[in-house]
Amino acid sequence: MQTEFPHNQSAHCESGVAANLLSHRGIPLSEAMAFGMGGGLFFGYLPFIRINQLPLVTYRSAAGSILKRLARAPGVRLHQRTFRSQQQAMEALDQALARSIPVGLQTGVYWLPYFPRALRFHFNAHNLVVFAKEGDDYLISDPVFPQPVRCPAADLARARFASGALAPRGKMYYLEQVPESLEPAPLIRAGIGSVCRMMLKSPLPLIGVKGIDFLARRLASWPRRLGRERADLHLGHVVRMQEEIGTGGGGFRFMYAAFLQESAALLAEPGLEAAASALTAVGDRWRSFAVMAARICKDRPQAEDSYPAMAAIIHDCGARERQVYQELSAWLRSAPCR
Amino acid sequence: MNQDSSSPDEDIAQGVTTVSYVADACGRQQLTPGSFWQPVEVVNRQAWLVIEQQVARSKAQVAAGRRSRLHYYMTANQMNPGLLARYTGQPRWRVLLHLCPFFFQRMAAQTITRYAQLFQISPEELMSGLLKPAIPSRQDNSHHAD
Repeated sequence: MQTEFPHNQSAHCESGVAANLLSHRGIPLSEAMAFGMGGGLFFGYLPFIRINQLPLVTYRSAAGSILKRLARAPGVRLHQRTFRSQQQAMEALDQALARSIPVGLQTGVYWLPYFPRALRFHFNAHNLVVFAKEGDDYLISDPVFPQPVRCPAADLARARFASGALAPRGKMYYLEQVPESLEPAPLIRAGIGSVCRMMLKSPLPLIGVKGIDFLARRLASWPRRLGRERADLHLGHVVRMQEEIGTGGGGFRFMYAAFLQESAALLAEPGLEAAASALTAVGDRWRSFAVMAARICKDRPQAEDSYPAMAAIIHDCGARERQVYQELSAWLRSAPCR
Repeated sequence: MNQDSSSPDEDIAQGVTTVSYVADACGRQQLTPGSFWQPVEVVNRQAWLVIEQQVARSKAQVAAGRRSRLHYYMTANQMNPGLLARYTGQPRWRVLLHLCPFFFQRMAAQTITRYAQLFQISPEELMSGLLKPAIPSRQDNSHHAD
């Protein structure tokens, strides 16, 4: 059984796992690149889905979609399965480890004992890589942690069979086959194309740039509709989804900017560099919303802090993002396909 | 985010260094180790205050005999009747019944074991004695591999 795995700490679990698994197989890939090629950027405000009685706000694409897109790259084959029984799931994991295959797992954060207590909520789409077993403990490369961690088998089994929204049902995956090297240009184009489509062309008003505007309108009406206390809770929830662990800051916008910068250098495309700077500015704008929101949640508002002021910032974020995606779409149309 | 605005506060990550993307002086986004950004601490604290209030209310209701001890364990572990039902493989209405002290006292031994296993306590601890804290509060964080 092997005990070496290239553990690189990353900001987001799914793209981090994808990057680490590919790097392990000799295809060095940064987290930001995996995030961008996997089309990870998104926005959705889905008030009919409730998390702890608060509306779902998401700044990233659905859990598992980054891996799914990367697995579609030519020459890559990802083995993936879910289980009915805990025993079968753990046996399959042990068998893969015995063959020296590092295995990616989807887990529920609440049941992982090594997680900081303050971050243990019932969130079931956390990805990690198990790369070895020592006695009754598994050695885990959890991409959001600086070093590999240890987890007892019983706790890991619980985490793999967490219930509730996005229940993992023991989901495990590993790379069965990888090409000699990945041709980056088509993957970058496909990733950018999918993000532009989702953000600009969604028919639903809750998704993409339209969703950002929708959130802004809703947010302005929260104090009137929900009362001050509930409105503050809703507000805090939005900021948590935007900034808490796994986002890389600014609701994944900084991470995507990193991807655009890396792609610009790789493909020698100055257009992407400009889009990256614009997106960094959007991320900073999202952060100024978060700062104002935090002051309101803390009950220490400054004179200019108010719900309408925050709604105006979010509208501004939406308008700027629309421009960025329009520029990226134009780049996709104009740049020659290699 | 610019480098100079990060905060040294290390409260919610309990000493674990996380990384995030920070633009350097030339505007290049770099994966930079650091702790949580201060507004995140504020909203994380806000979320925990709500949970703590719910747990305190539940404790008072259990002490007054209006809710069963199961209600406390459910609330302390951030669950609701629907989630608890899915974890224990029962219909939701049965869980709702078990939240009343009357039905709680009359649960089958098998049901008691199932709840106790989920909350990682003994059946006796579920049925009587001091209420134990939520699972994360009972576990420590010394699980680093090296």
